[in-house]
Amino acid sequence: MKWIKLIKQSPLFVILLFSGILFTAAAAGGRKTIYREQTFDPWKAPLLSILFTGLNDDIYPWQLFTQEAVQTTAALPEERPESFPEESGDTGAERDTASETEGGALLAASLEAASSVSEAADRAHSALERLEPFRESTREEYLNHISADIYGDAGVIRAGTYEFSRVDESYFDDALFIGDSRTVGLRDYTDLSEHGEFLCETSLTIYKMMEENFKGKGTVEGVLASGKYGKIYIMAGINELGRGTTEDFMEKYTEVIDRLRELAPDAKIFIQGIMRVSGKKHSSDAIFNNNNINARNNAIATLADNQQIFYIDVNEAVCDEEGNLTADYTHDQIHLLGMYNDLWKEFLLSHGVQ
Amino acid sequence: MVNFAGLEFIFRFLPVFLVIYYVVPSRGRDYVLLLGSFLFYAMGEPVFLLLLLTLTLVNHFVGRKIKEQQGGYKMFPLQKAKRKRLLIFVLILDVGVLALFKGLSTFVDSSLLPLGISFYIFKMISFQVDMYRGDIWEKPDLKSTALYFTMFPQVVSGPIMRYDDGEFGARRECGPEKFEDGLKYFVIGLGMKVLLADRIGILWNDLQMIGFQSISTPLAWFGAAGYSLQLYFDFWGYSLMASGILVMLGYEFIQNFDHPYASRSISEFYRRWHMTLGSFFRDYVYIPMGGSRCKKSRMLLNLALVWILTGIWHGNGPNFLIWGAVLGIFIILEKVFYGKALSKIPVVGNLYVLALIPLTWVVFAITDLRQLGIYFGRLFPFIGGEGIAVNSQDIVRYSQTYGGLFVAGIVLCIPGVFHFYEKHKKNPVFVLLLAAVFWYCVYFMSSSAGNPFMYFKF
Repeated sequence: MKWIKLIKQSPLFVILLFSGILFTAAAAGGRKTIYREQTFDPWKAPLLSILFTGLNDDIYPWQLFTQEAVQTTAALPEERPESFPEESGDTGAERDTASETEGGALLAASLEAASSVSEAADRAHSALERLEPFRESTREEYLNHISADIYGDAGVIRAGTYEFSRVDESYFDDALFIGDSRTVGLRDYTDLSEHGEFLCETSLTIYKMMEENFKGKGTVEGVLASGKYGKIYIMAGINELGRGTTEDFMEKYTEVIDRLRELAPDAKIFIQGIMRVSGKKHSSDAIFNNNNINARNNAIATLADNQQIFYIDVNEAVCDEEGNLTADYTHDQIHLLGMYNDLWKEFLLSHGVQ
Repeated sequence: MVNFAGLEFIFRFLPVFLVIYYVVPSRGRDYVLLLGSFLFYAMGEPVFLLLLLTLTLVNHFVGRKIKEQQGGYKMFPLQKAKRKRLLIFVLILDVGVLALFKGLSTFVDSSLLPLGISFYIFKMISFQVDMYRGDIWEKPDLKSTALYFTMFPQVVSGPIMRYDDGEFGARRECGPEKFEDGLKYFVIGLGMKVLLADRIGILWNDLQMIGFQSISTPLAWFGAAGYSLQLYFDFWGYSLMASGILVMLGYEFIQNFDHPYASRSISEFYRRWHMTLGSFFRDYVYIPMGGSRCKKSRMLLNLALVWILTGIWHGNGPNFLIWGAVLGIFIILEKVFYGKALSKIPVVGNLYVLALIPLTWVVFAITDLRQLGIYFGRLFPFIGGEGIAVNSQDIVRYSQTYGGLFVAGIVLCIPGVFHFYEKHKKNPVFVLLLAAVFWYCVYFMSSSAGNPFMYFKF
C-alpha cells in the first residue's frame, strides 16, 4: 500500500529508482562478459555507467542474453583495451588474468599476420623493405598511454631521401584525401576540394577508416571502385593516441595501407605524418603530446617504400623551431586556424611525385 | 565534483546526502545540510573553505550586533549611529575581500578566485542590509546564518537567495510530493545543461578553432545565436538544478529566470534574466542611491553605475566593462526615449531584443578586444571588410549539425511551452519524458567522464 501511494505521489522518483536498479543489475550481470572492456572509477561514477559507455562501442544490454554478444566482442580486437606484449620479469601478480592471456595471444596472432603481409609486399615490389621495430612496448608504457618509440627515426630518414617535386594544383585532380578533423579543415579552408575528393570526418580513426560511411560519399572502398584516383593522402592518428600501443596502431595502419593498395593498385599513397600539437598542449597533456605523436609518426614512416607509398610530414611547414605546432597558427592548440590550412596546401604542392 | 551535471555529484554525493537527510529526524536535518555543504565545498576547494567559514562567523556576529541595537520600540541616536558604523564596517570588509580576491585572480593567478565568492559575498551584503533595514525579523542563530551562506546547492553560482526566503527558523515540510517537484526541476535543468548547452557549446569552440577571420557572415550570426542559447540553458539549467535540490530538501523554489528571450526591451530582459542578481543590484545599489525617485540626471547616473558594476562583477576582462556599459546605455535610452513606445508595439520590441541581446553576448564571450573587433567585422562585413580564407558554404554544414539543437532550444525559449508543461506536469507522458531525459543525460555524462578519451574528438 505504501508503495502504491509513493508511486502516485512521486512517479518520476520511483521510475528513476527502479530503472537505476535495473541498469545496475544489467551492468553487474555483464561486467565479466560483454562489459569487461568498460572501465569506471567506483568513487566517481556508478556501476551502471558501463552500460552507457558500452553503447558507444555498440554493446547493448540485450546482448547479455544472446550468444552473438560474445562473438561480436571477440571479433573486434581493436575495440578492446589493446594487446600489449608480455614483459619478461613481470610477476604477473597485478594482472587481470583472463583478458591478459587473451591479449597476449591476440598480439602473437597479429604479429604473425603483419609479418606475412609485409613478406607478401616484399615479394611484389622491389622497393624499400618495411622495417621491424627494435623493441616492444612495455606494460608501463601501455598503462600510462605512452606511445613507445619502437622504430626510432630510421623510417623517417629513409623516407626523407626521396626527392619530391613541385607540382601545380591540377596535380590534385585525381587525389583522394582521407582523414580526421584536421583534413576537414584542409577541405573547408583551402580550394583543394575544387580539385580532389575528400573523405573526412571529425573523430575519424584508422580503426574506423575502412568501415566509415562518409556522408553523401559512401565508403573508401566504394569511392575507390571508380578507379579514377591516382593519389591517396591519409592523415589520421591524433584521435588514436589515448588508445592502445604503438604496435596496435601500427598494425591497423599497415592493414589499411595494404588494403588501399589492393583497392587502387596504381595509386600513389601518401602517408602524412600526424600533425603535432602546440607547445602549450604538448607540455600539459599526458596523451595528446608530441612525444606520442612523434613515436607514432616514426612507426608509420617505415611503411614508405618510396616507389608507391610515400611518407610526408606537414609538421615541417607548420611547426616552430622546437617542433611544436606554432602557437599563432592555432586557437585550440590542436587544429590549424582556418586561414593557416594554406600552409598545408603549399606543403603538399611542394611534395608531389611525378 | 562541484558540478551538478556530473556522475560524481548525481550518483555519489547527492544520493548519500539525501538518504542521510531524510533518515535523520527533522530537527537534525539543518545540521546534515550544514555538514554536507562543508564537505561539498571542501571537495571543490579545501583551502578556501576556511575563508568561507571565517566570513560566515564575522558576518553572523556583526549581523547579530546590528540586530541587538534595535531591541526596544524606539532606537536612541547612539544606537542608530552604532548600527550604521557596524553596517559600514562589515560592508567594507565584505566588498574588500571580494575586490581583493578579484584583483589577485586578475593580476596574479586565476586560481586565486575562491569558489563561489561572488555569490556568497553578495548574500552576505544582502543579509547585513536586510538586517539593518529590519527586513529580517528574528535574531538569527549561527546555524541559520551558516546554512544561508554555505548551503551547497547555492554556494557555487547562486541563486542569490534572500535570507528571508530561506525561512530558516520555520519547520520544513518535506514529503514525497515536494521531493518529486524538486526532482523534476532538477532533471529539467540537467537536461538543459547536458543535452542543450553543452552540445550547442561545441559550436562556439568550433568557431574559435576556425578563427573568427575565416567564418562567413551567416555563420557569425548563427554563432551569436548559438552562444545566446548556450549561455541561457547553461545558467538556467544550473539554476533549476540548484533550486530543484533545495525543493527536494523542503525549501521554497527560487526563480532565477522568467523566459527572458520573450522580453520586449533590454530592461525587461534583465528583469527576467538572472533575476536574483538583478534584484540584488536594484535593492542594494540602485534604490539606496535614490533609484528613480530623484532628479533625472541622478537617476541616469545611478543606472550607469549599476551597469558598470554588473559588468565588473561578471568577469575580469575589459570586454565585461564594455558589455555592462552597452547594456547600461540601452537601458538609459529606453528610460529616456523609446521604452514606452516599445512596450506598446508587440513584435518590434521582441525583434529589438532578439537582435541586440545576441550581439551583447558576443561582447560578453570574447575577452580579447582585437578578436572581438574581428568578430563584429564578420557580423557586419560592410564595416569590417573581407575575411581571410572564408568558406562561404560553412553555414550549410553547421546548420545541419546544430539545426536540431537550435530548434529544441528555441522552442524552450517560448513561455507557452513551459506553461503547458506546468499545467500537465503530472501527466504520465511528461513523467516518462523526464525519465528518458535523465538517462539520456547519464549517457552523455558517462561517455565524457568514465573515459577521458571519448571526450576529445578531433
